[in-house]
Amino acid sequence: MTIRTGECLCGAVRVDVTNLPGEAHACHCENCRRQTGSCTMTVIVPHGAVAIRGAEYVTTFASSAWATRSFCNRCGSSLWYRLTKPDPAVADYYLSAGLLDDLTGITMTQELYIDRKPAGWAFAGTHAQLTGEQVEAIFAAGAEG
Amino acid sequence: MLDERTGGCMCGAVRFTARLERSTYGTCHCEMCRRWTGSALLAMTVPDTAIRWTGMDRIKTIQSSPWARRAWCDACGSSLYYRMTDGPHTDHYEVPIGLFDNADGLVMETEIYIDQKPDAFAFAGTAKQYTRAETLALLGITASPEE
Repeated sequence: MTIRTGECLCGAVRVDVTNLPGEAHACHCENCRRQTGSCTMTVIVPHGAVAIRGAEYVTTFASSAWATRSFCNRCGSSLWYRLTKPDPAVADYYLSAGLLDDLTGITMTQELYIDRKPAGWAFAGTHAQLTGEQVEAIFAAGAEG
Repeated sequence: MLDERTGGCMCGAVRFTARLERSTYGTCHCEMCRRWTGSALLAMTVPDTAIRWTGMDRIKTIQSSPWARRAWCDACGSSLYYRMTDGPHTDHYEVPIGLFDNADGLVMETEIYIDQKPDAFAFAGTAKQYTRAETLALLGITASPEE
């Protein structure tokens, strides 16, 4: 069992993650784009594998009928994205990769909503790319969230 | 050439109209930008005189270093701007390009703090890259802390 630590820009919110996966996903949907200024870059972690300190500094925004986004209310760092269905209490954390103190061993392997990415920049390398339509077919969510 | 563009945060509480003088922008890979955005900060320089904000009562800021301030929407958490508060560059905003309703034609020209970029990802293209030391020299900053 390996524990990786992370924190927001100001350090008010800290996370300890058990058995962090090695893959990160980028999402270019409009909500992710506006929230972060580019795209979200997240690692998916089961709810039981994340210990959060500084929870009083976490503000959670319902960005769609099926998802929430949390940020540090002291520095504005994007923290995580979680689905609210079927059960928000046990939903995975789509944890913002940049929070991690050390990203060694993590690779971005997939881009979601690639058809919404602005043309002025792109990630280098070869990795899976899914359009919004393909993402929605997989998640059966129906729209961006 | 007048390139006026609108933009706003995820929830729409904060909006702006910006008059762009150029179509290029820069990316910052410093540790603070990484922790703030989750990856890197892609932002366009907009002079104070070329931008009008609405919904400013929802804007919350933090002095993230002795010489810079960062802002976000306190309703939805969207990153809104970075701006310097000390030194010779205090007359403009760095506005994340993702806030623009339409970012067509905007091109990444530089990457700063490239030596702090995680190996997890890289950007394609030919943006000019500067290390942290080179960035600080360009900005005329001699202090050692992060921005």
